Amino acid sequence: MSAHPPYTTSEARSRETFLALMWALSYPGRTPTLPDNADPFALIGDTLLDLETSFYTPDAQIRARLAQTGARLLEPKRAAYHFYAELDDSALATIATANIGTLSYPDQAATLIIHARFRSDSALTLTGPGINGSTSIQIDGIPASFWTMRERAAFPLGWDVFFVNDKSVLGLPRSTKVTLE
Amino acid sequence: MNRLAALAAPRQDYSYAFLDAYAKRELRRRTLKAIAIPGYQVPYASRELPIARGWGTGGLQVTLSLVGPESIVKVIDQGADDSVNAANLRRFIARMSGAQTTTDALKATIIQSRHRIPEEILREYQALVLQVPDPEPLRAVESNSSRAHEMHAEADYGQMWLVLYEQLVRYKQYIQGASYPSLVNGRYVISPSPIPRWDTPKLHQSAHLTLLSAGREKRLYAVPPYTDVYPLEFDDIPFQVEDQRGWVCAITGVKNKFMNEIPQPDGTSTYELSDTGYMEKVAPADATRTEPPGATYYDEQGNFYHDGYLKPPIQPEL
Repeated sequence: MSAHPPYTTSEARSRETFLALMWALSYPGRTPTLPDNADPFALIGDTLLDLETSFYTPDAQIRARLAQTGARLLEPKRAAYHFYAELDDSALATIATANIGTLSYPDQAATLIIHARFRSDSALTLTGPGINGSTSIQIDGIPASFWTMRERAAFPLGWDVFFVNDKSVLGLPRSTKVTLE
Repeated sequence: MNRLAALAAPRQDYSYAFLDAYAKRELRRRTLKAIAIPGYQVPYASRELPIARGWGTGGLQVTLSLVGPESIVKVIDQGADDSVNAANLRRFIARMSGAQTTTDALKATIIQSRHRIPEEILREYQALVLQVPDPEPLRAVESNSSRAHEMHAEADYGQMWLVLYEQLVRYKQYIQGASYPSLVNGRYVISPSPIPRWDTPKLHQSAHLTLLSAGREKRLYAVPPYTDVYPLEFDDIPFQVEDQRGWVCAITGVKNKFMNEIPQPDGTSTYELSDTGYMEKVAPADATRTEPPGATYYDEQGNFYHDGYLKPPIQPEL
């Protein structure tokens, strides 16, 4: 049997990033590792974005990097993927306008990718699909108003969130119920 | 080697894992949405593959978007690892990705399946990819797919209950054998693909991730790990799995696992295990390769591993 087609570096990075995202979303509260030595926004951008989809980010540097994927930069209301280096007041105001999908097409809701620090001690209790009972997680730098805003959309509507730090990713699908302690 | 060949890049006839980068990204975007909305049928592009639609292209595309050189892939067709369809798909996946293949459900990282879930309990971080011929559980009650889409949006499943009621009135039991409609996460009714009723409870609060993909119908949906999946049933007439009590596998002597019925010339039947990977562990063809079977969803007495999930049968009084 001939050798398989080459598993190139870019192929490997995309696949490993996707698997991290997939398992993060399948097991909310766990933090799968992203491929080493790379900007998580660039990794996720290269994995998910291309000219068939769109993004929004307030950060000029991230915007330039994501533009390389060929994806369209759109206004926050219509963009499919949002990237935030931090959640300041203007970012929160933007997220308030992000697409939560419709009952007919809940899959059109936005995906938010937010830089954050997380630890596995208390603060937030998660329940829902992908969680065996309940699990606790602490995510630093996320204002309480973010959680209130997230509560406003009832399943199956709402955005899906990936919190990323430099090494790993934490998925928070819309199906997860978050309780603040 | 002559010098021109040395200068040229090595010839590549295929992308890694067959699908091109655009196809993979699209499928991966869609897969993430499917996991985020358990049971919702996410539309996707469904590319051309070197097998015909209807022969597992949906499952194959999902597998190709997941697979890598370190993956261990198992492909089953009605429980069998050695059917033509399963063997072809397995060979194609391995040839395009360099992944290892196995028949052991517990060793596999990706299990692509047509119409069965293995008998052994799958674990966390295993991906079960089910090939789906018809993803629409409402097809029988609503032939217009746009209207069926609206019914899902409105969680309008009244007609499904009517179908079940009519079955009880006519036959005194639920007669749907495979693809038994099931409610995922309390919101969407799915067709769990034509797995037997025996396998449907295995989706409930499972440790593994299940991805269901219909290539011809271009729809993808998921049952994430630890998610509620309940077959539609009335409170007073519980859902039942196939009654195969008393059926004994002619090869292994095993009971209380899903069996194939093999008609005999004299009009009787013999039975054998449907899950050939499990059979191989219980009664290895090669006696030197003994691998003890793992824990199974149904124990030797036929009890399901989630206590109380399956209820004793009740005959309707109609």
